Order: sequence, then C-alpha cells, then structure tokens
Amino acid sequence: MPKGEIIAGFLAPHPPHLVYCENPPQNEPRSQGGWEQLRWAYERARKSIDRLKPDVLLVHSPHWVTQLGHHFLAVPKLSGKSVDPIFPNLFRYNFALDVDVELARACHDEARQRGLVAKLMQNPNFRVDYGTITTLHMIRPQWDIPVVGISANNSPYYLKMEEGLDEMATLGEATRAAIENSGKRAVLLASNTLCHWHFHEEPEIPEDMSREHPENYAGYLWDMRIIELLRQGKTREVFRLLPDFIREAFAEVKSGAFTWMFSAMGYPEIPAELHGYGTVIGTGNAVMEWDLTQARAH
Amino acid sequence: MPLAAAFLVPGSPLPYLRPDVGPWTPLATACRRAGELLALQQVDTLLVYSTQWIAVLDELWQMRGHVHGLHVDENWYEFGDLPFDLRVDTEVTAAAIAATSAFGVRSKGVDYDGFPIDTGTVVANGFLNAGGQARLVIASNNVYHDWATTERLAASAAAAAESMGRRYAVVGVGGLSGALFREEIDLQTDHVASAEDDALNRDLLSALDSPDVAAIRKHAAEHAGRTRADMGLKHLAWILGAVGERYAGAETLAYGPTYGSGAAVIHFKLRDAG
Repeated sequence: MPKGEIIAGFLAPHPPHLVYCENPPQNEPRSQGGWEQLRWAYERARKSIDRLKPDVLLVHSPHWVTQLGHHFLAVPKLSGKSVDPIFPNLFRYNFALDVDVELARACHDEARQRGLVAKLMQNPNFRVDYGTITTLHMIRPQWDIPVVGISANNSPYYLKMEEGLDEMATLGEATRAAIENSGKRAVLLASNTLCHWHFHEEPEIPEDMSREHPENYAGYLWDMRIIELLRQGKTREVFRLLPDFIREAFAEVKSGAFTWMFSAMGYPEIPAELHGYGTVIGTGNAVMEWDLTQARAH
Repeated sequence: MPLAAAFLVPGSPLPYLRPDVGPWTPLATACRRAGELLALQQVDTLLVYSTQWIAVLDELWQMRGHVHGLHVDENWYEFGDLPFDLRVDTEVTAAAIAATSAFGVRSKGVDYDGFPIDTGTVVANGFLNAGGQARLVIASNNVYHDWATTERLAASAAAAAESMGRRYAVVGVGGLSGALFREEIDLQTDHVASAEDDALNRDLLSALDSPDVAAIRKHAAEHAGRTRADMGLKHLAWILGAVGERYAGAETLAYGPTYGSGAAVIHFKLRDAG
C-alpha cells in the first residue's frame, strides 16, 4: 500500500448564509442570493477539489462541541435534517453523508496513543452539526467523497489558550499519522471564521447586502494582516501572532481547527491561494487553499 | 395564585439517561420527586429557561405548538437517545415576545420542523412533565444577555402568563459549578471536581434558603466568578425574575456531581400572593 498523504488544506468557514444564498435543493429556505464574493470563492475551491481528486475530506467543526475529548464521526452513513439553532430561518438542510469509519478509527487510535482523550461517535441517530455540513456542502456539494468529522473539544477555551492550541497541534500530528498509514489522499478542512465580531441583530431581509460590512474595523485590519502573511507563506509569523489575533479580533480560529490543520500539514511555509474574502453578519471569512502537491512538485 | 411552583433542575442528561450510576441516582430521584410536587399543583404552563439553548442574535422563543422527535446529546450520545414530545403554550409565548421590546430586547419566535430542542429542555420536561400535562413557554439563553436582562425576560413571561389567567410554574435548567473532568473516569466515583467548587456550591445552596433576594444576587455573582458556573447561573436569574417578590427561600432536594460539575435539584418556596 502506498503511503497516504495530505494533499491540501483549506480554510473553509461555515456561515450557514453561504448555503442559504446558493439555494441548493437540500436546504428548505429560499433566498435571492447574497454573499456572492464568498460563494464565488467556494466555486474556485470546488474546482481545486475536482483537480485534486481526494479520497477523503476531514473537517474540524467548532459547532460540534464536546466536553470530554476529541470525537470522530464513526457511523458509515448518517442522514437527517440539520437545523441551525442560531439561524433556523436560513439553514434547514437535509443531509446524507458517507463516513470513512476506517480512517476515523485510525485518527482516534493515533490521538489516544499521543495521550489525548478521543472517542468514536457511533450513535446512528446523531444529528450532524451545521458547521460540518456547511463546510462540506460548500467545498463539495456532490457529497460523493467520504468524510471524517471531528468535534471541537474547545480546549483552547477551557484551558489556557496556548495550552489548548498545543493540544490541537497534537491532534494534527495524530491525524497526519493516521492518513499516512491509510494509504489515502486526504484534504483537510478547517471550518473557521477569522475575525468573529458580529452584529447582534439580523436585517429583515437577511441577504440585503447593503447591510453587510465588517462589524469591527480593527478586526478587519487583523484579517487583512493575517491573510497577507498567509499569501506570502509566512506561516511561522502567523503562528507567532496567533494569540494576539485571537484575543484582539475574537477570532474563531481559537476553536482549534486552524492549528489542527497546520500541524497536520507540518506548518508549510508556502503561499496560500486566497479564493476570496467576505463578511457575514460582520464576521470575517476567507476561503484559502494550501496545495501541498504543487509545493512538493516544486 | 397563578404562580404555583418554581424549580431549578440540572440540564445534564447524565442523571436522566443513567439513573443507575450511584453518584447520579440522588439527582434523578430528586428530579422525579420534583415532578411529583409539580403534578400536585396542576399547572397549565411551565416557563422554561435552559442554559443549553444558546441564542446569539435576538432572544428566541419556541413558537411551534407541538414539538416532537428524537434528540441525541452531542456529548453523551453513547448513553442513549432522548425522545421528546412537547406542547408549547403559543399564546403566552406570543405575548412574552411582544413584551420584550419595552425593555430593549428584540425577540423572535421559532417555528420550524426539526429545530434542535436542547438537551436541558428535553431532560427537564422528561422529569417534570413526562405526561405532557402542562404546555411550555421555552426561552433561549442569549449569551449576550446579562443577569438583569434575564430577570426582565422572566418577569415579562410571568406577566404574560398571569394576564392570560394561566396557573404556571417556573423552571430554570442548568448546573452550578462548571469545572468538569477532562479525562475518562469511573462513573461510580464521580464527584464535584474540586473541594473548593463543592464548598462554594454548598454555600450557594445555603444562601438560596434566605428570602433576601438582593443578597442572593450578590452571592450568585460571586459564585459564578469563582466556579466557571454554568452560564453565570442565568437560569437562577430566570427563577428570581419570574418569582419576584414572592421569593421566600428554597429547599435543596438533591445536590451532586455531573462528571465533575455541580448540579442540584431545588424546590423554591413562595410567599402567599397578595
């Protein structure tokens, strides 16, 4: 069996508005569009997935919150309706997904070998969270690639932030080892917004883009600084700044997916492809890609 | 006396799903006892606030008349499913929604098939209202609302119930100290995570038996600041706001751990109306 590899990682945020504005058949509410820059950004990312042809997608979502350890979806087929508790007017999505249980179990085992608490979610009635579904739908609406869904233990919130992010780095190392031993070609999806300051009321017409802009100017400046560094491949500098970014921009990367993904990829100092940036109820969202196959070819 | 009873119960599903686990048995037994006490009151409506129904934009209220389905807790799915079948008092809820703009809170009703009812509400209803005798008013926990706003929301819900002639009870759903074990434990050895949390929880329970509501508010704020308390104990604010001047103390029916965090079943004493 050839050695498995991580072929790419994506920063793939999960505002349910992006599903809503696209009007896919799986989602009940209908919109008149909106958030086009981000929707088009995801269209570009989808083309990359077409080109990369991964065997599996791994997604870490901050909206499956687990108190006791890091959990992995481990039921071969999961389906049902996922209604966003915050935006039920926008997201009522009938999902059906295939889980790569073999890889999920391998990630779980590798995590435990490294001293992390890890669990396999084996309840067939489990309702998959809207963060996982939104990211997966936006990156691959055909739902034809098996997935591994990973919960957010929220250790960076519960522990000291740096301590919690270290734990996410360990989870990334475990994920990489599991993928390498699997023989599969994997894409990682960090389901995170950047600046997370947001408005507290929703416009009467949610997709009224005349009401959409960054909630917080300082947070916007932070987003641009981080994106520019990532575009230049200055990964070490981004991680040096990460604690300040999280504190000052209330950045959702605190929930750990970003650190998990970069640790799994080995913190590559390669330029990211920015597919697009936009705000959703004032939060900053970037769709970005790190193509490790191209980096290795060069 | 339209307000007939008030209870605080845990939102953790552990005592509900695994009442056989020794450290959780007293909590489960006390929750069932609270259900018996509530049944004696023959209330029409329960005003329920669970710390686990999180809202971010606006204050959300359940407005679907009949809510039923199968809930699976995102943490404790291994212990089983949580079927639920709730009737909602939509008339009182609509009145409560209409009232909150008077104190600067924008409220919205949610009426969607498949809306995820939170674990705390499902568990509380299962213990206290298993037969579905009472209809519910269910308010969300907007994470940006403070203690005072939560009290005002509860007071407005109570006023709405009273204005419609309901006989009602108030239910706050949530825990006490919030520190929990981050490693797997032998369930039979579960206990409150630290001696300090345990002592502070017991102090709080003792303080609740005083009729001095101002002192309780102060004590609760101090407790929350020192124990990672569940959502700043806003479920207690919900009780105080709804009960108002009829608060006369509290009896703790049970106190114990839920995987390290503190939990209690509390039956509040009410002054006679008038």
